Amino acid sequence: MKGMKVTLSWIYLALIYLFILGPMFFVLAASFNTETSFPAAFEGVTLRWYARIWDHQEFLSSAWTSTLVALVSSAVAVLAAFLAAYAISRGNKRENAWLSATLAAPLLVPQVVMSLGMLQLASLAGMGTGFWWLVAVHAVHNIPFALRLTLTGFARFDFALEDAATSLGAGRWTAWREVTIPVLQSSIVAGFTFCFIMSFVNLPISLFLADTATTTLPVVMYSYIESRIDPMLAAVSAILFVLACAITLVLDNVFRIRLVD
Amino acid sequence: MGVTSLLLLPSLLMIFVFLGLPLVVIFMQSLQDNVLLQFTPPGIENYKYLLTRPYYFDVLVRTLRLSLLTTFFAIPLGYLAAMAMPVLKGRLANMAIMALTFPILAGPLVVILGWMALLPDSGPLFGPLVRAGLIRPPRILGSETAIVISQIQFVLPFAILTLYTALRQIPHALYEAAASNGAGGLQSFLHVTLPLSLPGVLSTTIIVFSLAASSFIAPHYLGGASDLTLTTLITNFVLGTFNSPLAATSSILLLVMMLAAMFMFVKLFGRFIRP
Repeated sequence: MKGMKVTLSWIYLALIYLFILGPMFFVLAASFNTETSFPAAFEGVTLRWYARIWDHQEFLSSAWTSTLVALVSSAVAVLAAFLAAYAISRGNKRENAWLSATLAAPLLVPQVVMSLGMLQLASLAGMGTGFWWLVAVHAVHNIPFALRLTLTGFARFDFALEDAATSLGAGRWTAWREVTIPVLQSSIVAGFTFCFIMSFVNLPISLFLADTATTTLPVVMYSYIESRIDPMLAAVSAILFVLACAITLVLDNVFRIRLVD
Repeated sequence: MGVTSLLLLPSLLMIFVFLGLPLVVIFMQSLQDNVLLQFTPPGIENYKYLLTRPYYFDVLVRTLRLSLLTTFFAIPLGYLAAMAMPVLKGRLANMAIMALTFPILAGPLVVILGWMALLPDSGPLFGPLVRAGLIRPPRILGSETAIVISQIQFVLPFAILTLYTALRQIPHALYEAAASNGAGGLQSFLHVTLPLSLPGVLSTTIIVFSLAASSFIAPHYLGGASDLTLTTLITNFVLGTFNSPLAATSSILLLVMMLAAMFMFVKLFGRFIRP
């Protein structure tokens, strides 16, 4: 009876993971296929589609734009979330429903609606959107994720350490620099990495707010798919998938930093 | 204490300026006249228009239907997976949890591309069966079924992660107490696991429903041309017909629908959650 339950659990989990991860592994396999159409039966292995990406300047330059947007917006989100997490944990406040609802709001409001609002705000102010508008919305959208990861860090942090530093004469900032931030380092790195990737792959926000100078990689992929789907696109997707897996695994195995708890 | 609370300001300020203010602007925009509807603003003609045209009203109903269906399937599937998780031990358990973030981090476009390749009648899933004459072409791609399948896949990692956390928080002593009082597996589930995990199920339901209602890439690529949802309708108004007020009105309708659904979920589950 017990053994059967365990077997069924294994089978069930295998099916669920096949369902969740299968489509991405299929894209990964298709990116190596010699067939020129996508999807197609598997003919042979080639790296041609990866080389082909280099002929498409728009993919490379937009990947760079995505990197910049992701870097700045994640830094802002993590900084804001770190301060908020400190206030929440240090203040030892009882659950404040309004505060948690406000801080979770960027998760619940659809991204399409968020970016539409910023677009209309910009046109009301008579301005064009661009880099900083993208950064602002990406950062706000990422605050709940960064907050969650830093709060987990603070839950394990002993504030007595910080008090010991200040009672030994350290100023508030010194105590932070020498004690609090080093102890929470892994949560901060986890928060930053998570936000960076979420921003890098984001489509709905960038679709409305990117101008011609700040087209991000997902927006380029979006317009490419509108006209055709080919193995080159599968190669770009496969790179994104492999990078996401690699970053998660390296952080966990080498640095003992977890993106989920 | 007072100074520490000030540290909340950057986050709150960002949320008010870059989320709160834009929402106010959207609401004001939704009361404006436009190329399609001439009236003296402010007025509710945009709302009347979208809610009385069967074509647009169907979009609202479809969004609700697809999101509810996604939630309806994802919650039990995720709950069972969260319950099965403890059979994985050590490194494997660790890996399994991490693997759940892969589709989230690889991004929705990558996942959707997978479904666009897998679901066609000639694709690797149905192709062999169709060619062998075993089934008729199922025409899944470009239908609501395709949207729901991919939405379930998209929300499942979130559902499993939050439900797994909820189930882990149940003290193990309670299961031992149930067993020592002669409760079998089913009784222990009905009297310990299920009631104590209900708050977690409620929050997961809210997350999953909002994710499904906000999803834009799945209906855009996997649905048929007529399978518009509120998010794709908003995109059409913004990028296609440049009708800002109607895009704003659709956004407010989407937000109201989501709030109403959340309220309903809280009422529904609230009856069973013991304080």
